[in-house]
Amino acid sequence: MKSISRPTAAVIGLTLAAAALTGCSEEAGGAGGGAEAGGCAPEDVVLVGQVRNESNPYEAAWLDGGDAFAEQVGLSQDRLTYDGDSTKQQEQITQLLAGDTECLVMNILPNGDSDTLPIVEGAQEAGAYLVTQWNKPADVNVTDYDQWLSHITYNGVESGQQIGDALAEAIGGSGGIIALQGILDTGAAKDRFAGLEASLEANPDVELLDQQTANFSRDEALAVTKTLLTKHGDDIKGIWAANDDMALGALAALEQAGRDDVAVVGIDAVPDALTAIGDGTMTATVSSDGPWQGGIGLAIGYCVATGELSVDDIADEDRAWFAEQFLITGDNVGDFTSPEVDEADFECDNVFSRSQGAIS
Amino acid sequence: MTSPAKADTDVVVPPRPRPRRGVSLLDAGPPIALVVIFAVFAALSSDFRTVGNVQNILDAAAVLAVVACGITFVLMMGSIDLSVPGVMGASAIAVALLVANNRNDNAWGLLGILVAVLLGAGLGCVSGMALVSLRVPSFMTTLGVSAVGLGVATLMFAGVQPNITDEMLRGWAVNRFLGLAYLTWIAVACVLVGWLIQRYSRLGRYAYAIGGAEEVLSLSGVKVAPYKVAVFTLAGAFYGLAGVMVTSQLSAGLVQAGKGYDFAAITAAVVGGTLLTGGRGGVLHSAVGVLLVTVLTNGLVQVGVSPYWQGGVQGLIVVAAVSAAVLPQRRRNQVTK
Repeated sequence: MKSISRPTAAVIGLTLAAAALTGCSEEAGGAGGGAEAGGCAPEDVVLVGQVRNESNPYEAAWLDGGDAFAEQVGLSQDRLTYDGDSTKQQEQITQLLAGDTECLVMNILPNGDSDTLPIVEGAQEAGAYLVTQWNKPADVNVTDYDQWLSHITYNGVESGQQIGDALAEAIGGSGGIIALQGILDTGAAKDRFAGLEASLEANPDVELLDQQTANFSRDEALAVTKTLLTKHGDDIKGIWAANDDMALGALAALEQAGRDDVAVVGIDAVPDALTAIGDGTMTATVSSDGPWQGGIGLAIGYCVATGELSVDDIADEDRAWFAEQFLITGDNVGDFTSPEVDEADFECDNVFSRSQGAIS
Repeated sequence: MTSPAKADTDVVVPPRPRPRRGVSLLDAGPPIALVVIFAVFAALSSDFRTVGNVQNILDAAAVLAVVACGITFVLMMGSIDLSVPGVMGASAIAVALLVANNRNDNAWGLLGILVAVLLGAGLGCVSGMALVSLRVPSFMTTLGVSAVGLGVATLMFAGVQPNITDEMLRGWAVNRFLGLAYLTWIAVACVLVGWLIQRYSRLGRYAYAIGGAEEVLSLSGVKVAPYKVAVFTLAGAFYGLAGVMVTSQLSAGLVQAGKGYDFAAITAAVVGGTLLTGGRGGVLHSAVGVLLVTVLTNGLVQVGVSPYWQGGVQGLIVVAAVSAAVLPQRRRNQVTK
């Protein structure tokens, strides 16, 4: 055969690539975890916290919480960041798992849903203890793995409802409000808006005049709010925003329209929003308590690694659960401007105390 | 068949010079579309046809108008510019850190704004230099400069949002003159300046000529490269100013201040009748396009179209408006790429 025709070559090439990829994933999926857990001396435990970047105040606070827990047990935490780059995250994980993994505890914020599974399978293979937060594909079950100790996330329906209720209270239980939705095809936006709808049912005198999307963006929220202010004028008593950035955009629009009689609520507890709540220009936001998130994942892993807690003893509803979130208003904003962790939260018989139930 | 005599008369009477119908209709198309769309929304919604809402539309169009001024010159040359998000982000953070703010003790006032605009011009200059000296297509150089701008912005951002306390810059978005925010008047001034440059300066006329027939221009002895760099620099200055305007509106410097403005401005320019192939259109065309896009966004909210439908409806209307606008100019056998 003198030469292979180009299409044939392409087919062969693709087949080889596919075969190579299958090989890789089989390698990762096979074997199954080692470590029947529990044998690590406390001083041998290695703690790793990984988030997107430290230039984000929330994630920096998360890593600080991890440091606080590490100090509590006389260890130190490796702070890893991957700049929101999925590839970089996987590389860092691979590197970690190539080292000594017997007593490795990882508290990971996966970049997106699809990034979780490779991390989980890597940890399972290497026998490292893993806790993930926020992102997980719905059809992957934590209970199918014995090294993936727990997955923690937050109930968007609940936070949407909490700020909805706070808004209703701020406008005296009746009047018109407008809603600024997030990116419409994200789970967070859908859940939070469902929470608002639940709140509206509980507060029948509050009327939703209009709802628009501002794509979680401060700039877009400014333009949309201005338009809605001209459309509904003085009927608007309150603005519900699916995150704080949009709430801050709405505040700018209100300032430009010369309105100071409108209550504004958001979610995320970004520093600017906390300042605005302190000033009284904003009504409420919701915090997931970043420092606690940074500590709790390490605490769960540490407890299992040292044998104080066994994977088999963790109830199924504590393997994937919603954690408690906190409504911040003018009354308690002082407690959140410089958040601190409570050592008692990280005691081994206390690590699941903030659970609001299993992820349905 | 025809007698020689008849043929003679045909030759003697010259055809009456006719205006180039296609061009004039092309120019008239977008304004007509603007009036029609405005009239339709005004008929559908009583909220839309209020003075307050017209002010709101003009205020909302301000930033996009300034970006469109800049990008129009680049499009007229037949190049494309995707550096808007980076340039705007860098200048937004720069100005927020230079005027009175919560991060440092700077209070440069107008000088800070000038520096931010110059930073934009500098980044634009880099795009132009890379285009003419490295001969990389503008699509790639400007995309790269955008990434550089975002990188610079992220470095300056350093994790803490700079909020501005400078009264003058904050006042631009809040204070009004004849019913419109100062920012809107700045945008009007930019369109005017842009039009004057395009109409009366050598830079503007060469930009047209480069887009129309670059080879002819260089064969007739004109050095094209400096003008190309100058056009990108001018465009960068406009984006820099737009970044300052966003900072004024939000009273905070955001890395993502320019997100989405690149394609919004290109859309507005094309809807207004500026061709992506260059040599046609201009600042006034683009200004009409900006108003068209803004009226559309505002009108769909005012008449109460569900947010789940708005994106799609807006896209459809834009495609319809563009095809209506270029209809008279389409020739038989013309290839569309």
